[in-house]
Amino acid sequence: MKILGISAHYHDSAAALVCDGVPVCAVQEERLSRRKNDAVFPIGAIEWCLDHAGIGPDDLDAVVFYERSMLKFERILISTLRTFPHSWRSFPNAMRNSLGEKVWVRGIISSYLGIPRRKILFTTHHQSHAAAAFLTAPTRRAAILTADGVGEWATLTVGHGDRRVDGGTSITLLRELRFPHSLGMLYSTFTAYLGFSVNEGEYKVMGLAAYGRPTQVDRVRKLIRRTPDGAFALNMDYFEYHSSAKRSYSSRFVELFGPPRTAYEPIDLATAEGQRFADCAASVQRVLEDTLVDITRALHQETGLPDLCFGGGVALNGVANARILAESGFERIFVPPAPGDAGCALGAALYADRVYFGQPDRNVPDHPFWGPAVVSQDLLRAATEDGQTVEELDDARLIERTAAELFADGVVGWMDGACEFGPRALGHRSILAAPHSVKMRDRLNRDIKYREEFRPFAPVTPIETADRYFELPPGGVRLGRFMSGVFRVRPEWREQLAAITHVDGTARVQVLDRDMAPRLSALLEAYGRHSGIPVLLHTSFNVAGEPIVCSALEGYSTFRRCGIDMLIAAPVVVTKRGPSKVRSLKEEALA
Amino acid sequence: MGVERSAGGRILRLVHGWIWGDLDRRARKLLSFAEVETGGGRDILRAAEMTPDPLLRRLYLAHAIDELHHGDLFRERGATLLRARPQSLRSAAAPAWLPSDGHGLDDLRIEDERDESLLGFLHLSEKAAASRFSVYREIVQDDPATRAVFDEILRDEVFHMNYTYAQLARISPASHRRRLWRARISRLWKQYLRLAAAVARVLSTIVLTVQYFIVVPPFAWLAKRAERRERPGWTVLQPEGRESLTRQY
Repeated sequence: MKILGISAHYHDSAAALVCDGVPVCAVQEERLSRRKNDAVFPIGAIEWCLDHAGIGPDDLDAVVFYERSMLKFERILISTLRTFPHSWRSFPNAMRNSLGEKVWVRGIISSYLGIPRRKILFTTHHQSHAAAAFLTAPTRRAAILTADGVGEWATLTVGHGDRRVDGGTSITLLRELRFPHSLGMLYSTFTAYLGFSVNEGEYKVMGLAAYGRPTQVDRVRKLIRRTPDGAFALNMDYFEYHSSAKRSYSSRFVELFGPPRTAYEPIDLATAEGQRFADCAASVQRVLEDTLVDITRALHQETGLPDLCFGGGVALNGVANARILAESGFERIFVPPAPGDAGCALGAALYADRVYFGQPDRNVPDHPFWGPAVVSQDLLRAATEDGQTVEELDDARLIERTAAELFADGVVGWMDGACEFGPRALGHRSILAAPHSVKMRDRLNRDIKYREEFRPFAPVTPIETADRYFELPPGGVRLGRFMSGVFRVRPEWREQLAAITHVDGTARVQVLDRDMAPRLSALLEAYGRHSGIPVLLHTSFNVAGEPIVCSALEGYSTFRRCGIDMLIAAPVVVTKRGPSKVRSLKEEALA
Repeated sequence: MGVERSAGGRILRLVHGWIWGDLDRRARKLLSFAEVETGGGRDILRAAEMTPDPLLRRLYLAHAIDELHHGDLFRERGATLLRARPQSLRSAAAPAWLPSDGHGLDDLRIEDERDESLLGFLHLSEKAAASRFSVYREIVQDDPATRAVFDEILRDEVFHMNYTYAQLARISPASHRRRLWRARISRLWKQYLRLAAAVARVLSTIVLTVQYFIVVPPFAWLAKRAERRERPGWTVLQPEGRESLTRQY
């Protein structure tokens, strides 16, 4: 049975193909279109998935869209009605957006793929999140939590999943919180208030929070109150996201927290204003964590299950995940590599397979590498044509050479096999560097990633040695598999791991299982032989504002225009020539 | 080939004189240029990744780096002007909280374009940009820092115009003039589409706003009444049947 899952139209569209109960491939449209968070109907991703599997649209048994678009339209319409007459400015835009394309999903899919309408199915948004989290996790029974900005009506759901011994699968969502009461929207509102882009800058709020103190928690609590049944409700007097497309916070919000930051003002943490923004970030982060801990603690008591599967954009908050692990009572937390809307494409396809078609349960491979593979010969050809220093090395020499380059403070662009599905590079499209000095962190932020000074870098280390350098609680290894948890760097190693130790002594570590990325694992071992510490700084292979590279040529063009010293798509190694470091590309092109 | 002072440029000078006279509008204009240049740079970068021609790859790459740098220059200058404004006005410049749509080079799909048509398009775009920027440079006589930004960018634009023309002639020697004409017609068509879309947008906004105030009020009253009955907190979910996946509601 061949099932295509699709997510689209809001942010981060994607396609995923499930054949006989197992994912075959999945890719975000942005990786192919090169437009970050591309929300268009993912025809490029769909075509790639079908080509990759060697099938045509006629071979598909079903196409599953990740949410019910008419139900979503209902929510938009009713929200507009409820906020009458304040919503008069946003009404034309909302109607144009929805009626222009988004509600006609069945017709769009049918006409793009030329398949009958009866083959097109719809899961709900949070069913897709729940399935993406539960059906990809190596657990048979688990509690389920999903939380994001908003789906159709739901913003947060709790439930449980069961993969029975008879092969049957059930995912039961017990309760939901409904728009406009949303933890994701609360966090996004602060993201916008702090001058970052919504759906993209939430990482920055989390990074900034470490520089602040939660001095404004009481004020944040005016925005969100707990309800007697253990849920929460937002005080909508402080928000405008339900009635405006221009601003997510209200004037009362500004009265409470002070003037917002504009996107073009740098955050200077040495000033009172910079510290105020950091304190705001720390405060909303604290409230988010407290709320999630309370909800998950109650869920643990209710279900009595040791495992929690957590999906939705809020699950990208590694600091909150670590607190849930520490305080909720759950022994293990499974966050998929793509917990956001892109992952819903895979979740929707798996949900239809197991629940709608009742196909027998199958284990899903526990890795994130579902995208297009790198073609090293493309890199070889382009780099050779451009007169770069190119070598082809066997694996052992390549690993040794790369480790030596890293030990000599070189920065390496690393491409290996299929690209990751999800927002994080997890060892196949990474920039690697030595983790030891603050200078390296600053160099990467300044010359390579072109991003804010306060943003931390993550480390990667083998599973066998992770506990030596990081304070991993029970269950921490699992959370670290896809970089979903932030843990403390052991104090005795912080000085030697300065580039990856955040200001609060933590790091969002990837705990690497050799079977998941054997070549990177070998590199870590080799680097450990050079430096005595098998830990590398590890960040996504892109520059600010661009999607993670997918093809060899995208890696190559990034390599040519930023300060990366060595580029690898095994077995090809490209090193920046000495003169080209000083001669401009323009001069070179005209030579 | 240098920067031309066309009749269009003279008209632009009059139209834009008042826009650039105001510091706030000037800052916003520069920031919008920053977005356009950065988006264009990314599209040209894509062209560098797609082209099979090694020389074009290098030139596109150099061009993309210039465009991204221009984006930075505009952004930096725009931000400096914004920071110079009184604190009370700053919030007005906060970005829209919803992600914007639209991108780069006239919504061009680089993957679908051949090098010949892309070079023709780039040549005309650079020429038009150089013409406009030279007008702006003269308008901002009172602002040496902004003028310096335009000076630097205009130097690059001359290189971009020249190489796109030369490369078009190289890869399409027999038909490069025809390609340029096609690119001109395509640009005109896109300008018409943009204008038509803008007019449609204005008209639809008027119609929908009128409907909002005439049709919506009774439904709004009902919706608000229903909202008052809702209890905050959890909503218990009823199990759905298998058939629920067939519907969009």
